Amino acid sequence: MTTMGRGAAAFLAAMAAHWWWTTHMPLFGTAPQLLLVLTVIAAARRGPVRAMCAGFAWGLFLDLLNARLFGANALALTLVGYGTGSIRRQVDVTGVGPQTVVIFSMTWVYFLMIGLLARVFQSQFLWVGWTQFMIDPFYNCFVGLIVAVAWRPTWEHSRSR
Amino acid sequence: MHRETRIANFVLAAFSVISLTLLSLPLSSPVQSFKACLSYVLNPVAYYGEKGTDRLTSVPGNVRNLLAADIENRVMREQIKRAAWTKAENDSLKAENERLRQALGLKSTLPRAPLWAHVMERDSTHWYRSLMVDAGADQGVVVNAPVVGRSSDVIVAVGRVVEVRPKSAVVLLLTDEQSSAASYVASVSTEDARSDEGLVQGRGTSRLMMNYLSPDAKPEQGDPVYTSPTSATFPPDVLIGRVARVNPPDPFLTFQSVEVAPAIEASSLDEVMILKTQSAAIAAAATAKLPAPPPEGDAAAEDDSQ
Repeated sequence: MTTMGRGAAAFLAAMAAHWWWTTHMPLFGTAPQLLLVLTVIAAARRGPVRAMCAGFAWGLFLDLLNARLFGANALALTLVGYGTGSIRRQVDVTGVGPQTVVIFSMTWVYFLMIGLLARVFQSQFLWVGWTQFMIDPFYNCFVGLIVAVAWRPTWEHSRSR
Repeated sequence: MHRETRIANFVLAAFSVISLTLLSLPLSSPVQSFKACLSYVLNPVAYYGEKGTDRLTSVPGNVRNLLAADIENRVMREQIKRAAWTKAENDSLKAENERLRQALGLKSTLPRAPLWAHVMERDSTHWYRSLMVDAGADQGVVVNAPVVGRSSDVIVAVGRVVEVRPKSAVVLLLTDEQSSAASYVASVSTEDARSDEGLVQGRGTSRLMMNYLSPDAKPEQGDPVYTSPTSATFPPDVLIGRVARVNPPDPFLTFQSVEVAPAIEASSLDEVMILKTQSAAIAAAATAKLPAPPPEGDAAAEDDSQ
């Protein structure tokens, strides 16, 4: 399979996995932002451009599942990719520790961005709720660890070939 | 500036403009068209995901059903083997019976072909009068064909066909006032089971009335009531019900009567068996290469009460 084919397959698989997890496997009413985690990891390992492209498309997919604010997730994930790419230039975020810290902080940034965009375009701050605001960063970090561990043998191996 | 940074800035600017446009003009036609296109492209992820999930979640149930069907299939095969032996025995007895009837000069009875039909419709305000079944003239159903049901592996009398349409038929239940059937009480207290003959008549309620019983008869509560061999509609010895109440003797009547509880509730009927007579006899005669019976030769064309 070519690199583009693998990328497209990973892109679609990520969307399907996110949809499946949020629909069929929420834990105490919360599910991880898998696409956000993947955007951060892609930006940390592949650079901001690819992460922004993927994040923008994933964001549009998330926007389709929402009834309002069409474009908010696309913008938020694009900014997350850009922000992580900017941090990457200062700090090495490919390690598991720094990556977890970035995921943790980007989750809060993402929530605040969605809230602010709603405040601007709908005159109402879209608050995700304290439970999700406090639990989801940890949840995302946990998922990020799993993705980081799985990333190395699969993606790096295919790249080396 | 680094090349990657410049590209990243450009991509950020482009995506930000697109996103802000989408956010600012959610109801404009280009944004709506874009959203529709995007839905067309990306919605299959959720749609086929849901279908795939459904398939996967139904796998254990399907496997369980498959195993149950396999077990049931084995049991049914055994039953079919036993039924084949019973059928062979039955055919042999029928042939013997026919030979003996001919030797005695008795009129041979016409074979009946059973036809199962589902209850299509019933009048909810008149549960005990009639119902409609999904078999009609196309399936060979004729007027006055007896209709029986099944209650815990026992064949019980239900009624008779009074109206035939191409694909449906109306069945007049035994519980209707216009129904009646010659019958007998198989009383355990009498030596001759068929000595207590009478006429079971419908009353439009859940109970039947059995009249014209001999004053000497001693029916008891719980005694089974069967169709009589003299019944013009039903084959003999088909269960009708059980004696529910023995009425006190009336000094002004020369017979006694009992109330009969039907063996099957009209409201619980889901499917019935119509015993085809004339067409079945012709078909059976043709199969056996015997001369076909005369049309309407059987007495089942007439109601018992007439």
